[in-house]
Amino acid sequence: MQKDFHYYATYCAAFLAGFSHEECMDICYSAQFTDWCSYTLLTKLGAPRSAATTQLQLEMMDAPTNIISLQNITRIWSSFHFLPGDLYATKKGCSKRYLAKYRLICNPNSELVVKTVEQAKDVSLQAIGISMHVLADTWAHRYFAGTPSLVINNTDSYFFEILPDGDSVIEKRITFKHNPSIEDNLEKSEYVSSLYQNNENSIMNLGHGRAGHLPDYSFIKYKYLPAWGDYDEIIKDNPSDYIHAFTQMIRAMKYLHGDVESFKTEEYDFDAIGSYRDEIEGILRKRQLDSNDDWKAFGEKLSGCVIEDFDMNKYQDEYISASKDEKDNTFIGKFIQAALAQKGMVTNAIYKSGNILAGFSKEVRL
Amino acid sequence: MILCSVLIVYYPSDGLYFIIAILSISLTLYGIRTLIYYFSMARHMVGGRGILYLGVVILDCGIFTMTIADNPTSFVIIYLLAIHLFSGLVDILRALEAKRISAPSWKFKFSSGVVNIVVAIAAFVFGTFLKSLDVIVYIYAAGLIYAAISTIITAFRKTAIAYIQ
Repeated sequence: MQKDFHYYATYCAAFLAGFSHEECMDICYSAQFTDWCSYTLLTKLGAPRSAATTQLQLEMMDAPTNIISLQNITRIWSSFHFLPGDLYATKKGCSKRYLAKYRLICNPNSELVVKTVEQAKDVSLQAIGISMHVLADTWAHRYFAGTPSLVINNTDSYFFEILPDGDSVIEKRITFKHNPSIEDNLEKSEYVSSLYQNNENSIMNLGHGRAGHLPDYSFIKYKYLPAWGDYDEIIKDNPSDYIHAFTQMIRAMKYLHGDVESFKTEEYDFDAIGSYRDEIEGILRKRQLDSNDDWKAFGEKLSGCVIEDFDMNKYQDEYISASKDEKDNTFIGKFIQAALAQKGMVTNAIYKSGNILAGFSKEVRL
Repeated sequence: MILCSVLIVYYPSDGLYFIIAILSISLTLYGIRTLIYYFSMARHMVGGRGILYLGVVILDCGIFTMTIADNPTSFVIIYLLAIHLFSGLVDILRALEAKRISAPSWKFKFSSGVVNIVVAIAAFVFGTFLKSLDVIVYIYAAGLIYAAISTIITAFRKTAIAYIQ
């Protein structure tokens, strides 16, 4: 997912869940900051690098593929962007090595997403923001794993966009280009993706890189053959997934706000968007590379307040200038605490399932 | 590769057999590794059968290369040049494929493929006209050095990835 959903749509969901404008700003800032909190940034801030929630493109390109580096990559991407759907999934006739990767495939409504949301309860707005990032990504990134794997994350040329055509639909072949310096062409259905690499652990085979940014666009509905899917077609209906993500975020944040007693899987608050549903569907289905302006306008209409643009430098001086004892009470300090807790929880859940791909971690209780 | 080329310049006859041995062992091990990867992982993958075929072909090449060692030196060098020519052709085919999908790396791959082919053909032609095995060996050694340098450059080039968020 991109800034449009992690920042502006998260603001809207938080507001509909009952948070004030100021609280919504902190929540959506933290949700978006999850895509920026890298080793490089943490090193610049003098903060613990183990709190990294993402890797920059150059960090990934420099990452070796030894077991330590692979565990580090898996810890980051599985904890924050590709939350595993079922750590005990089985598949007939598979080796243990294959299953270890297969079990990291991201899917929504998992036990881990419930734990992610519950862990953020009564902690901080930063923890809520991180948990909403993780929850939203379970919908966008489903069917891909947060670890480099050819046998799980590879895709072939069988990709078709499903477009409405009156009462029926038409299928348009999607072609991929492998030059990241060019932009996706929505008219021609040409998208940029990572190059095929037949090395199982190549960084090119991390997450949805082989399918380019298709999972990040809310408007697109397409079908393809996932590498792990035994030649069964999967139809990825992003408008439907995204509205489920949005209403599940509202439900989760109502729990975190204290308005409902529990958060369970398969619970969506469609009532909360009742009168706005057409408007939200309109934003989700509009063919565009990002929907920042539309979500921003919708959020400002909801709250009557101006949503300031995301500025990644906003809280950095506060953290750098704080004394050692005070750092944990700064905005970024609270974000780091929440990130460490999330990473520790997911890493240890993977480890306890008998899977060493993410290594193990110290559990941080908030 | 650079070490091998130096070796065959100083010891043209024994050096060629040494290269054959290294080539054979490398191909055999790579073929076995690819087959293990297929049976433990890739057989569950869509399109994974390609990896099985690749493993079988490479293993077969590795074993066949070992049998070449029993032949006269002139036959060995012809086989090595044929391999060099083939790798050049593969480079060109891959470059054309990369160009089709707009990957920026295609130019470098294409030029290295062309040079490899030119070197192999030049070694055949000069060797035949001059009737000298040494000339063939020297040209082949130069081709090996070029291929080694291309491989080193490729290893240090960063391949851009689609940045996921």
